[in-house]
Amino acid sequence: MTGLLSRASPQTLRLLALALALLATILFFATQIEGYLSPRMFNRISTSAAVVLPLAVGQAIVIMTRNIDLSVGSIMGVVAYMAGQSLSAMPEMHPVLAVLLCMAIGAGFGALNGIIIAFGRVPSIIVTLGTLALFRSFLVEWSDAKTITTASLPQWLVDLPSANAFSIGDLDVRVTVVLALAACLVTGLALTFYRPARRFYAVGSNPDAAVMAGINARRVVLSAFILSGAFAGLSGFLFLAKFGNITVVAGLGFELKAIAAVVVGGVSIMGGTGSMIGVLMGALLVDTIDNSLTRWAVVSEFWRDALLGGLIMAAVTLDTLASRQLTRLRKGGQP
Amino acid sequence: MTQPVLELKGLSKSFAATQALKDMSLAVMPGEVHAIVGENGAGKSTLIKMMTGVHQPDTGTILVDGQSVTLKSTEAAQDAGIAAIYQEPMVFPDLNVAENIFISNRSKGRIMRWSEIYAESDALIAPLGVKLDVRRAASGLTLAEQQTVEIARALSLKVKVLIMDEPTASLSAHEVARLLDIARALKAQGVAVIYISHRLDEIFRIADRVTVIRDGQHISTKPIAEVTEDGLVKDMVGRALESFAVKTAANPHGETLLSVKNLTCAGVFQNISFDLHKGEVLCFAGLVGARRTDVALTLFGIAPATEGTITLAGQPVRITTPQQAMDLGIAYVSEDRRKLGLAMPLSIFANISLASLKKLLKPFGLIDRQAESAMAETYRKRLAIRSPDTRVEVGKLSGGNQQKVMLAKWLETKPRVLIFDEPTRGIDVGAKAEVHAIIRQLASEGVAILVISSDLPEVLALADRVLVMREGRQAGILPIEDATQERVIAMAAGQANAERPAA
Repeated sequence: MTGLLSRASPQTLRLLALALALLATILFFATQIEGYLSPRMFNRISTSAAVVLPLAVGQAIVIMTRNIDLSVGSIMGVVAYMAGQSLSAMPEMHPVLAVLLCMAIGAGFGALNGIIIAFGRVPSIIVTLGTLALFRSFLVEWSDAKTITTASLPQWLVDLPSANAFSIGDLDVRVTVVLALAACLVTGLALTFYRPARRFYAVGSNPDAAVMAGINARRVVLSAFILSGAFAGLSGFLFLAKFGNITVVAGLGFELKAIAAVVVGGVSIMGGTGSMIGVLMGALLVDTIDNSLTRWAVVSEFWRDALLGGLIMAAVTLDTLASRQLTRLRKGGQP
Repeated sequence: MTQPVLELKGLSKSFAATQALKDMSLAVMPGEVHAIVGENGAGKSTLIKMMTGVHQPDTGTILVDGQSVTLKSTEAAQDAGIAAIYQEPMVFPDLNVAENIFISNRSKGRIMRWSEIYAESDALIAPLGVKLDVRRAASGLTLAEQQTVEIARALSLKVKVLIMDEPTASLSAHEVARLLDIARALKAQGVAVIYISHRLDEIFRIADRVTVIRDGQHISTKPIAEVTEDGLVKDMVGRALESFAVKTAANPHGETLLSVKNLTCAGVFQNISFDLHKGEVLCFAGLVGARRTDVALTLFGIAPATEGTITLAGQPVRITTPQQAMDLGIAYVSEDRRKLGLAMPLSIFANISLASLKKLLKPFGLIDRQAESAMAETYRKRLAIRSPDTRVEVGKLSGGNQQKVMLAKWLETKPRVLIFDEPTRGIDVGAKAEVHAIIRQLASEGVAILVISSDLPEVLALADRVLVMREGRQAGILPIEDATQERVIAMAAGQANAERPAA
């Protein structure tokens, strides 16, 4: 065991632990909830996770650069509302264009965050805490407290949540799920093989060295926030498609889910590390727990947020303890 | 005469009220090793930052291959063929070695071809004489290994001018030799090496020409054959120094204060045994990676021993936390001022009082500010910390003065045993002589002193006895009379003929 521990990379071990946790969670709820392992439950969890996944992907990029984006829930809400409005007004807009529009609006909000953080040198936690509230107030102002309803949306969008991409056995994989997975996959590939994307890791790993190595760290941080905004825009689109009815509280509290997914997925809050496969598993775990708790009679659903918070803390604590232990083991292993 | 590859003409630079550089001119030829020496604060770092595009000069021009250039960023400097490696290596701990090497290489295109990168990294590392797995993460590499990564990074950029800023400050003797070999190889390929070091012996081993700067001004540039060590030092400090390697005054050894038997920290080091007397200076010599610092960390309670005994003033003690060590009167002046020693954004007085705040408490747990600044003022005078007052941020001081602040912090705890880890790493000759004098002075006051140093002349100048370590084991203890550079190196490197008399 010791030999294995010191040979496998910490990242691999973390993913392994995460996969086990996911499996254990599913098995646990299977014993608690009747008819848990059903195609219906799969659908419920997968479509719900699909909304969070793009948020988490963007958040992961930001956290890799040693920053945080607390405003993603608000961006998502604003985008969902604005997209709903635009599609009501222009129902003939092409679906692809609609998705791109959502991402562009989100990117705009992200750019605002990024500019203040990278060029105004204000800590991201402060800036995005401010814009978390600002963007939400903007939504209230913009919407005039009116609600977007399914009735005003084009038919293709109303049908989208139940549209099937393909099926595995009797498990249906929805188009929205494929869209979210694609975002995660493309980002994952870019972070591994696209040189400019590697700079997110570099800047988070050692900001001083990044500057010395000729990397424009500010531009990298700005890009991270723009991407986070764009992915929040994609989540906004998926949110609009899933729920149809958009009020001023759309996306409220989603930043907590996104950060939980990222941190549980093994992206270090100290920057520099993290993988998209981890973020995917983190989002799945968070949403599995979230959706299962609503069906589990033992716990009141008001405890769901508390559980998310607890999960974030547990993940970081475990990670710190485990990596310390691992370092010690490694040191001991050397001559 | 060939054209200089890099020429600086009349560079000046001011930061707020301080003029860091005044009318600096310098010409560097292809294929030469050009040494730049000067005390800390002489303007060397500003000069380097100007050449690497970190800062831009207020006035003056920089010419590369005779063409006037504006180096507005590190990127621009790299494109012009100028790169630097620093005293504190700049690596990315989370990225693997290969990616660290190619991080700023823009010729590689936008898609990462990992197998190609691994192969090329291997090819770059191999001639540097270091075994390094290019696929491992850079976290946990030793300083020397990190530096190798930086050199490989510079080589991958096909540099015309490589600036080495204090590259050997934390290297052991044989690593220094290897680095100098690398510098010579670069020179043979026509690369101009700008070599900045406080270690004059290295400069005489490697440099073709040497430039002295002082107070931001160019003092002299001479071929190495025309200068002497004394002459250089005189140019640097602007006055003649008494021999800067203080010869040990015979120290009458007092009673045994600290006795260590078979100290072991599983997997790190084993069976370290020595006695340390009052008023004695015991130096730990060895190559980097010999685990000398780990022994110090164990004595200071950071990494408690797994076996062996520590006896302090006749009492067996078990030290498991730094607090305990401090209560027993053991102080550790760390090697890494930035990370472990000082709170850089805090003032001098706040740093000095940090380890002894309990003494300054008034009722309700408030700190007596007056007593605090009086305490700091005493040390500022006693250790000659160069700063107008003690409210200055420590981060703004030169390395030597930072070292003195750190020392003041520990002296205030009135230690019985004082452990110095590389006390003069990266500080200039003048400050070095002062630190040496302070160490000898403390010893004569009866403090038992342990010094870890990779600078052999320093070890021989300071020590009463030398404990040589090799790969986590004790290679032997030499009384100063028997310690010569050759013998210590031989023991540290594990040559057979040196082992016999060491036992």
